[in-house]
Amino acid sequence: MTVDMRNGAAQPTQAVAIAIDRVSQRFPGRSGTNPMLALDDVSLEIRRGEFVCLIGPSGCGKSTLLNIVGGLIAPSAGSVRIGRNTVNGARPREIAFVFQESTLFPWYTVLENFRIALKFQGVEGGGWRDRAMAALRAVGMENFAEHYPSQLSVGMKQRINLARGLCVETDIILMDEPFAALDEQTRMVLGEDLSVLLARTGRTIVFVTHSLAEAVFLAGRIVVMTARPGRVKAIIDVPAPHPRSPDFMLAPQFSTIRNDLFALLRDEIRQTVAAMREARDGARP
Amino acid sequence: MATIDTSRFAAAAMPNEQRLGVASTRVLLVLGLLVLWEVYARLFGRAGMVAPPTDVIGALGPTVFGDPKVRSAVLLTFVELGVAFLMSVALGIALGLLVGIGEIGRRGLFPIVLFLYAIPQVVLLPLVVLIFGLGPAGKIAFGVSHGVFPIIVNTIAGMRNVSPLLVRGAESMGASRLQVIRYVVFPHMVATVFAGLRLAMTMTLLGVLLAELFVSTGGIGYFTQVYAETFNPAPLFALIATLALMAVAINELVRRVELRFTRWKQ
Repeated sequence: MTVDMRNGAAQPTQAVAIAIDRVSQRFPGRSGTNPMLALDDVSLEIRRGEFVCLIGPSGCGKSTLLNIVGGLIAPSAGSVRIGRNTVNGARPREIAFVFQESTLFPWYTVLENFRIALKFQGVEGGGWRDRAMAALRAVGMENFAEHYPSQLSVGMKQRINLARGLCVETDIILMDEPFAALDEQTRMVLGEDLSVLLARTGRTIVFVTHSLAEAVFLAGRIVVMTARPGRVKAIIDVPAPHPRSPDFMLAPQFSTIRNDLFALLRDEIRQTVAAMREARDGARP
Repeated sequence: MATIDTSRFAAAAMPNEQRLGVASTRVLLVLGLLVLWEVYARLFGRAGMVAPPTDVIGALGPTVFGDPKVRSAVLLTFVELGVAFLMSVALGIALGLLVGIGEIGRRGLFPIVLFLYAIPQVVLLPLVVLIFGLGPAGKIAFGVSHGVFPIIVNTIAGMRNVSPLLVRGAESMGASRLQVIRYVVFPHMVATVFAGLRLAMTMTLLGVLLAELFVSTGGIGYFTQVYAETFNPAPLFALIATLALMAVAINELVRRVELRFTRWKQ
């Protein structure tokens, strides 16, 4: 395991899929307060096929960074490149999002949801049904194609959300705490599934999480961020190949990395809590 | 905008026994009231004011539907109501979309819509008659002026509170602004708009009838007035019952259409 402080450069072995170059993000404050600096000079390179977890205290700008990478937010400074192109808007052909809550449209059946997603992406015509069914089979939900989302449990919906992210066949999938709303057990099962799927498909994944165990179990590299304003505090490698079995959680290596991660995060979390207390007493930015 | 989801009260979602209980309670109550009414009218009622239900049913045949003038009046009101309602729907949804689609338009114009909605429209009736005349045009115009507002208001309300998560999800999948409106905003607003349509139905009927009652010389409204002024309650109540049936029928039609659009909620 290596901990290289504040150094986000990728090793030159694999092509760079995502290059985050000195990105800062400032949100306008409410009237009378200063603008809030959410991200401060973040640089990071993510190689093709890599699974990177972003972890950090609440409000450190993890999700903001993800939205910037996906082109949903324009950064105040710096830039993001996907391959050779600078991101300046959503890139549905290259990047899929999976959010914390299901973004399945409740008024369409599961299958219709896939059709709409492909339509949004600009894929028209035949073949969509086969692709959708294949993606549903991959997450074991092929029997629910004609159901409406309201007929499914939260875990099932998130499974399908994940399948939809895979179905659009982008090279990059950005996941914003996709399992956060799930119970611990569902979460573990889905994590395992994801690990298996990944080993098969070789997508590049950036995954925001609050869970130390989840980060260690899933990631090839873990990017630890500081409390607001978010900076890269450390990058931790998790040198274990996918698919990872639940046994990996019992390995000494797992707890060592998890403990290191906890040590790195502890100060940041304290700082965040202190800032929140301060904000409670008045001028919240 | 508060909307009541009446489907929750529908008998369809209940087990059979309960459904039977609901139905029998309803029938017993109505029958009981009719019997009370019959007894009261026969024993204490003044002939010129109250007619017992049996007389009302008796009047339905010969006096109301036997009289070609009354028959064509019922038909006229029905047509006026239909036209006024369709115009309210077209106009209401179009104006609602126009006002509600943008933040600036909504904030700027919605209060004006609410202000106009708050005016008791009866005071405008003389003006409407001056502009559109005593015939069907005036009645339709007055029906539209009543029906259009609930639809505008509910269309605007329906466009609010679209889940930002779903919009962000759609945008992340590459949806254009038009696609977001077509596949996210429109389906989201269906239930609220239909609540407006049903309210508008009642309001349109009110508008048409008010015009008939006060100024017109045709339609159901005119004849209810004639029957009332000639102390002839049996056909009067028969006409009112016809009117109620008409309203229920159209309301049911709107509900059927709504069910087709909201299958995902069941």
